[in-house]
Amino acid sequence: MPGNEVGILDGPAATPPAATGLSDRTARLLLIYTPLGRLVRAVARMRSSVHFKLLAAFLLVALLVAVMGAISLEIMSRMSRQSEAMHHAHHRVTSARQAQHALALQMNYTAMALILRDEATIGSILKENNRLNTMLAQIEDAAPAEEREAIQRIRSAQGDVMATVADVANLVRDGKVEQAMQLQLKSGYPLFQQVEGLVEQVVRIEEGNMDRQRDATALANRHAFYLMGGLVIASLMLALLLGFVTSWSFILPVREAQRFLGRVAKGDFSTTVTVDNRDEFGDLAAQMNRMSAELNRLYEEQQAAARQLEMVNTQLARASQAKSEFLANMSHELRTPMNAILGFTEMILDDIYGEVPPDIRGPIQDVRTCGQQLLRLINDVLDLSKIEAGRMELSLTDYSVQEVVETARTSLRSLAAEKGLEFVADVAPDLPLAYGDGKRITQCLTNLVGNALKFTKQGRVEIGARLDGDCVVYRVTDTGIGIPADQLDQIFGEFRQVDASISREFGGTGLGLSITKTFVELHGGRIWVESEPGRGSTFRFAIPLRVAEATEAA
Amino acid sequence: MSQKKILLVEDNEFNRKIVRDLLARQPYDLLEAHDGEAGVVAARRDKPDVIVMDVQLPKLSGLDATRAIRAEPETAKIPIIVVTSFALSGDDKKAMDAGASAYLAKPYSPRQLLDTIRRMAGDA
Repeated sequence: MPGNEVGILDGPAATPPAATGLSDRTARLLLIYTPLGRLVRAVARMRSSVHFKLLAAFLLVALLVAVMGAISLEIMSRMSRQSEAMHHAHHRVTSARQAQHALALQMNYTAMALILRDEATIGSILKENNRLNTMLAQIEDAAPAEEREAIQRIRSAQGDVMATVADVANLVRDGKVEQAMQLQLKSGYPLFQQVEGLVEQVVRIEEGNMDRQRDATALANRHAFYLMGGLVIASLMLALLLGFVTSWSFILPVREAQRFLGRVAKGDFSTTVTVDNRDEFGDLAAQMNRMSAELNRLYEEQQAAARQLEMVNTQLARASQAKSEFLANMSHELRTPMNAILGFTEMILDDIYGEVPPDIRGPIQDVRTCGQQLLRLINDVLDLSKIEAGRMELSLTDYSVQEVVETARTSLRSLAAEKGLEFVADVAPDLPLAYGDGKRITQCLTNLVGNALKFTKQGRVEIGARLDGDCVVYRVTDTGIGIPADQLDQIFGEFRQVDASISREFGGTGLGLSITKTFVELHGGRIWVESEPGRGSTFRFAIPLRVAEATEAA
Repeated sequence: MSQKKILLVEDNEFNRKIVRDLLARQPYDLLEAHDGEAGVVAARRDKPDVIVMDVQLPKLSGLDATRAIRAEPETAKIPIIVVTSFALSGDDKKAMDAGASAYLAKPYSPRQLLDTIRRMAGDA
């Protein structure tokens, strides 16, 4: 038995609070090394409620108190009976002694009658005879057989005595004193002696009875003392036992539950709790086991889901990596020949290979223009692919707004000049250094200015930049064809141009605005447009002066 | 006094020809290497005055070759112009981190390349 209970009661998790340390250790030793452990488990296994068990324990203790009360009442009444019997025995002894006394006086008065010879003395003899008889009658009632026989014999002998006394008295009255004395000596005195012996016997019997009664009373007292003491000790022990067994039958499952919850709290969901109890604690343990099974199931499901997610993530990462690599490769593969085409064209036009004949220069310039257009398309498509792949990242550094505007203006100045458009920049002079992806912002502005130039046949294109709160607001205003009101909210979508005829007339893929919007939003900014068909358009985008690092990740 | 030596590390024949034609009438000797490893070897052997390094190269990438050249005391001080295809944001930063002295994105203008070479060679 100790073997399996060591497991239940020991171990670090079983360490009770320090306050109950000593009594707890004692209790544990008792549970392991005495049959109390078995008893505790038996109580735990009882198929009844905790309420019933507690009630039963209290009722048992109450019953014990009631039994003790009843027994002590019984003992008290028995002792009272004993004392009454003692009193009775004492009374009987007194009566026997009085009888003895009456007999002695009778003998004495008889002797006196012989000397005094008067009627008074003779009357006294009769009086003492009556007293003797009265006393004997008192004893005779409850006397044992032996004593009753002695009393009968006293009565018959006393009859003889009284006959002799009567004779003596008559002789005395007749003056025959000598004869009376002879009669008294010869028959009266021996008869007296005989009666005296018998009375003495009765006295001794009564005294013996009284002694026995006294011994019996003393014995009964001792018994009562032991009985009461024993009962008190037994009651205490039983109450302690009941308390111990009941409380430990509740404490053990609570401890088990505590250890179980400790394990669950540490993340061990496969654990279970085992208790002997078949009461509310048993139900509780069963519920906790269901809970832990459910937790374990959820945990395993979650683990499986996490593994699956991880796998999907890995696959996605691999796919994304492949896409990035493809983009990088495509970028390289496309730019390498573009580099050669544009490079050779530029060198030819720079007369590196000798002076270009005037009639050839035009077509070569066309090759260059188309090459640059193709490069822009390639760049747009690659940017869009990166945006779609979620691989578009900003490269954040300090940049100058003036420089951004200047770069955009410089790259498109020749186009404006070719179309004969007025082309001006209006930048606030005191703009502080900005933080963001200057190249991408330049690209945005260049896209907008490029569009403005493309869609404006005459008039002017104006670039502006000013600080508005924490934002830099870039503005591109043209006097071009404008955008119908119902198309305004669509133009930032991919592949959007106002209508198909536009692309035939003006060219372009419709990717520029979509890419621009993405870059602006990657910076945490926004872009909007105001336009009036026939009068022109104004595009604005606002970008935080200092882009937060977090924006880059988003 | 001999002419300054320019080492071009580039795997594409047409792009090598651009530089060859560009420098033909310039006072520079052009040395050519077709991959990163050959570039590092040529740098060590010929001690060029300026290196023009493409990024996407066979055997050893242009960035790794740049690092290797920077790691050797004899070649550590040679100016290196790194040419990238501007594939992803941050290429310029990567080039500078690897030890590039200047950085050009493809497609570059031959005029711009020549200006950069001159500047790096101390002729501008």
